[in-house]
Amino acid sequence: MIRELEPLTGLGAELIRRADRAGVALIWRAQARFACQTLVRNGKVESATASSSTGHGIQLFTTEGRTILGSRDDLLPEPATALLDHLFGALGRADRLGLEPAAICPLTPLNARAVPDVVTQFDAIDLPGAGRRLIELERELRGTVPGAGIKLSYRTDLDCWRVFRSDGTDVLFAMPRCGLTMVASSNGGEGRNTVGVSLHSPSPGCAWDERYLARFMARAAAAARLALALPDAPSHPAGSYPVVIDYALAKGLAHEAFGHAAEADGFRSSVLAKDGRFEHGRKVGADQVSIIDEPVEHDHAWQPFSANGVRRERTVIVDHGRLAGGLSDPWSAGPGGVALSGAGRAESFRNGPVPRMTNIRIEVDGPLPAPGRFEDYGPEQVRDLLANAGVFRRHPVVSFLSGYSGGQVNTSSGDFVFNCKAIYRLSDDGVEFFKPAIFSGSMFGALDSIREAFGPLELDALGYCGKWGQSVPSSGGSHRFLVLDDHPTVRLGGG
Amino acid sequence: MLDRFIEKLQAFRSDGKTIRDWSVYQSESRRLALGTKDRQTGVVHAPLTVSEGCGARYLLVWSDGRISRGSLERRQLDQDADSALTQARAVSFEDPDSDQVQGPGEFPEVDLHNDGVAALACGDVEPLAGRLAAVRELVQGRNFRTWSGSFGASEATARLRTSRGLDLGGRGTSFGWHATLNGEIGDGFGARALDSDHEFAARLQRLGHVAVRLGEPGKRQPAGVMPVLMHPNVVENFVLGTLLGNLEGAGVVNGESYFRKEQFGSNKPVLRTDLSVRLDPLVPMKSGSYRFTAEGVPADRCHFIENGRLVQPVLNLKYARRFGAGPTPVPTSMDTVHLEGPPELTEQEGCEAAAGGVLILSVLGAHTQDASSGDFSLSAPQALGMTGGEPAGRLRGTLSGNLFELLQMDDLSLVRFRGEHTPGLLVNCRFDPK
Repeated sequence: MIRELEPLTGLGAELIRRADRAGVALIWRAQARFACQTLVRNGKVESATASSSTGHGIQLFTTEGRTILGSRDDLLPEPATALLDHLFGALGRADRLGLEPAAICPLTPLNARAVPDVVTQFDAIDLPGAGRRLIELERELRGTVPGAGIKLSYRTDLDCWRVFRSDGTDVLFAMPRCGLTMVASSNGGEGRNTVGVSLHSPSPGCAWDERYLARFMARAAAAARLALALPDAPSHPAGSYPVVIDYALAKGLAHEAFGHAAEADGFRSSVLAKDGRFEHGRKVGADQVSIIDEPVEHDHAWQPFSANGVRRERTVIVDHGRLAGGLSDPWSAGPGGVALSGAGRAESFRNGPVPRMTNIRIEVDGPLPAPGRFEDYGPEQVRDLLANAGVFRRHPVVSFLSGYSGGQVNTSSGDFVFNCKAIYRLSDDGVEFFKPAIFSGSMFGALDSIREAFGPLELDALGYCGKWGQSVPSSGGSHRFLVLDDHPTVRLGGG
Repeated sequence: MLDRFIEKLQAFRSDGKTIRDWSVYQSESRRLALGTKDRQTGVVHAPLTVSEGCGARYLLVWSDGRISRGSLERRQLDQDADSALTQARAVSFEDPDSDQVQGPGEFPEVDLHNDGVAALACGDVEPLAGRLAAVRELVQGRNFRTWSGSFGASEATARLRTSRGLDLGGRGTSFGWHATLNGEIGDGFGARALDSDHEFAARLQRLGHVAVRLGEPGKRQPAGVMPVLMHPNVVENFVLGTLLGNLEGAGVVNGESYFRKEQFGSNKPVLRTDLSVRLDPLVPMKSGSYRFTAEGVPADRCHFIENGRLVQPVLNLKYARRFGAGPTPVPTSMDTVHLEGPPELTEQEGCEAAAGGVLILSVLGAHTQDASSGDFSLSAPQALGMTGGEPAGRLRGTLSGNLFELLQMDDLSLVRFRGEHTPGLLVNCRFDPK
C-alpha cells in the first residue's frame, strides 16, 4: 500500500502548481488501505475477504478562507487534474449558499515519514492459515466453556496516507491495525445474551503469538462464561451508587464524557467553552485526576500526523482537576483559544478531517497496587482490592461495572451514557451478579467523583468513534480500576 | 468496464482452476454534500464535498468448489483484474452453501430516479439555497442558540451480471437532510427525490416547536412504570432496529438471535397477536425501494412478522439454503418497513392516553444494548412530561425493561404522528427521572 503512495510526488507538485496558479491553497490527501478479514463459526470458515481501497481528496481554500473538498477513488493523474478543475467551478457556483470562511493558524511546512517496521508483514498475510488457526482457537474455547455459541474473527488493516500542502508539506504515514474478536452467545434456556471481546495488535502475526493469545483467550473465556450466566441475572436497581469501573469503562468515561467536549471544532456549543473559547483553568474534577490524549505507538488508534499534515501532539485536557488543553486543528485552535495539537482525523480520503481523539486516558495520582495481570481480576479479586484499601468502610456496598459496550455523549449539555457488560455488587458479605445497565449523567459529576485508582495504566481498550458520521479507531484506558463515589448527577440503570 | 472485467474473469486460471460460476454487482456514483456546524455552513469542518466512486461486489465459485467473495475498487475493475482475481483465489474458502448464482427472472419496475436530485449531485446547488435560508430564519426567529446539519444528494448506476445469464441494470438517486437545534434535538428526511417545500417547512416547524418545549423545565415525576410514548424516531432507531437485527438470517440460523429457528412458521406468537412487521420495497421513490438486491433477488413485498408470529427471517441466498426457505427481499431503509398493529391513535389521542407519563423524543445508547436479550436500559435526556393531553416541560431520565415483553403487552398502542412514516409506540414502561 505504501508502494501506491510513493510515486505521487510529481502529481502532488502538479496539483499544487495548478492551485497556486488559480490563487487558492490546497491540501491533497491520498489514501491506500488494505484490509483482510476471516470469520469462523461452528468450526467452519464463514467468510474470508481481502479488499483494498485507494483514492484521494483535494481540499481547496480560497484566500477568504472558503473551502471545498472533492474526491475520487483512484490515483490517476488525468482524473485528478480534471477533478481539480471541476472544484474551481463548483466553489464559484456555491457562493450564493453563504458558505462561511475560516481562518487558518500559521503552519510550519513539514516533511516527514512514519512507517512502522511491522508494515512489511502485511505483504505475507496468510488468510487461509488464519482461518485454520481460528478453528483451533474456537475448538479450545468450546472445550473451556461448553455450551456457548462462539464466533471468532481475525482482521488486518493497513491504512496508509500521504498528505501534501501548498506550503510544501509532504507527510507519509502508515497505521497497522490487527486483532482477534470473539462474540459469545448463550444458546440454551429461554433467555439469550451476547458478549464480545476484542484485542488489538499491530502485527498480522497476532493469531500465532503466544503472549497475545494468552491474554485474548483468557478474556474470551471470561466473556463466554458471562454470556452463559447473564440470562439468569436480575436487573440492578436504578439510582446513584458508588461504583468501581474497569479501565475499558474508564476509557469510555474519558472519551464520551470529556474527550468529545474538548474537541475544538465544537467549542461554539461545548460545555467546556464559553463564547467559543476553551475555559482554561476551570475546575472540572477531583484534584488528583488528569485526562491526557496522545498517540501511543503500536496502539489501535495510533496516528502520528493529522490528515492535514500536522504532527500529532500530546494534549493534557484536564490537569489535576482543571481544564488545560483542547484537541485542535489549524482552523479551530485560534478561535478556540487552544494550542494546535494536530488532532484532525478523517475516516477516508472522501471525508473532511475534524479534531478527534487518539488514545485517551484518565490518570490518578498515587494509584494503589493491583499486581499480576488484568485478566486475573474477577469480581472477587476486585472486591479484595476494595476491602484491603478500606473502601467498604466508606461505602458498605459498591457496584462493579465490568466491560465496555459503547457510549454516547451530548457535548452541548455534558450528558454522557455508556454501557457495561455486567454489574457485580461488592461488599464484605460477598458478590451479587446483575445484568448490565446504562451508566449516565453529567461529566462533571463523574470526574468529581473519582477517588481511588488501582494498578498500572492499561491503555488498550479499543473501539471506533462515529463523530460526524466518520468512523475512526479510538482507544485508551486508565489504571486497572477506578472507584467513583456516588454523585446525584450520575446514575446507574434502571434495567 | 464491467464487461471487460468479466471477459478477464471468464478466461482466468489459477493453479489450473477456473471460475465455474460468478456474480458481479458493479455500481458507480456521484455525490454532493454540504454541512453546517454550529451555524457555520460549509465551514472547514463541514465542507461542501463532491465525490465520484466506482466499485463492485463479487461472488466466484471455482472449479474445485471453493468460494471467493469480496469487493473490488475502480483500479482493480479497470486496470488490475488479474491481480485482483489472483488475490481472490488466494483467500478462497470452502462453503458449499455459498455456491448460488441467480439466473434470469421477473424483476419489478420501480421508479428510483429523480432528475432534480441528479442535477444536485452533479453540482447544481440552487435548490439548497432556499432551504438553508429557511433553517436560518427559524433559528433566528425563535432565538435558538445554534444549529448543525447536512444536505446530501447522490446519483448512482448499478449493473449485475451472473454466469447464469442474468444481466440487470438500473439507476437511482437519493437525497437527504438533517438538522439539529441547540445541539440537542434533530430531525430530517430521506428519499430518492427532494421533499416538497411544504413538507420541508412543516417538518422544520415541528422540530422548532419541540425544541422550544425542551427549553421549558418539566414537573418532576416519581419513578416507576408509567405510560411512555416513544416518538417515531425512537421506534425506528431502537424498536425496529432491534427487531430487524434479530430477524437477520445468519443470527437466527446460528443461534445468536433472540428469535429461534423453530419459532419461524410456528403458530405460537412471539409478539402481540395483532402486531406485524412487513417490507414494501416497491413503493416508488422511497429510500428503501429497489428492483433487485446485489445478489439478484427480486424486490417484493413480504412479511417478516405477521399477527405476532414469525414468518421468515431476512434471508440472503446462503442463509436461505441453510434455513431451508427461499431468499427474501432485504430492508435497506426504514421508510419501506411497516410496523402495523391495532387501530392507530391520532397524535392527540396518543398524548391524552399518555397523560401522567412521558414522550420520549430521543434516546442515548441504543447501540450499546444487547439486542439478543431484548433487555434495555437507555438514557432519555430529551423527554417531555405529559400533562392534560399535551406534551409539557422537559424531563430527563432512564428508560428500562425488555423490548420483547413490551411488544406482547395488551396495553400497547400505535400512535400516528403527523408527517411520519413509522408510528409512535405507547407502552407502559419503567421511567426513572433524574
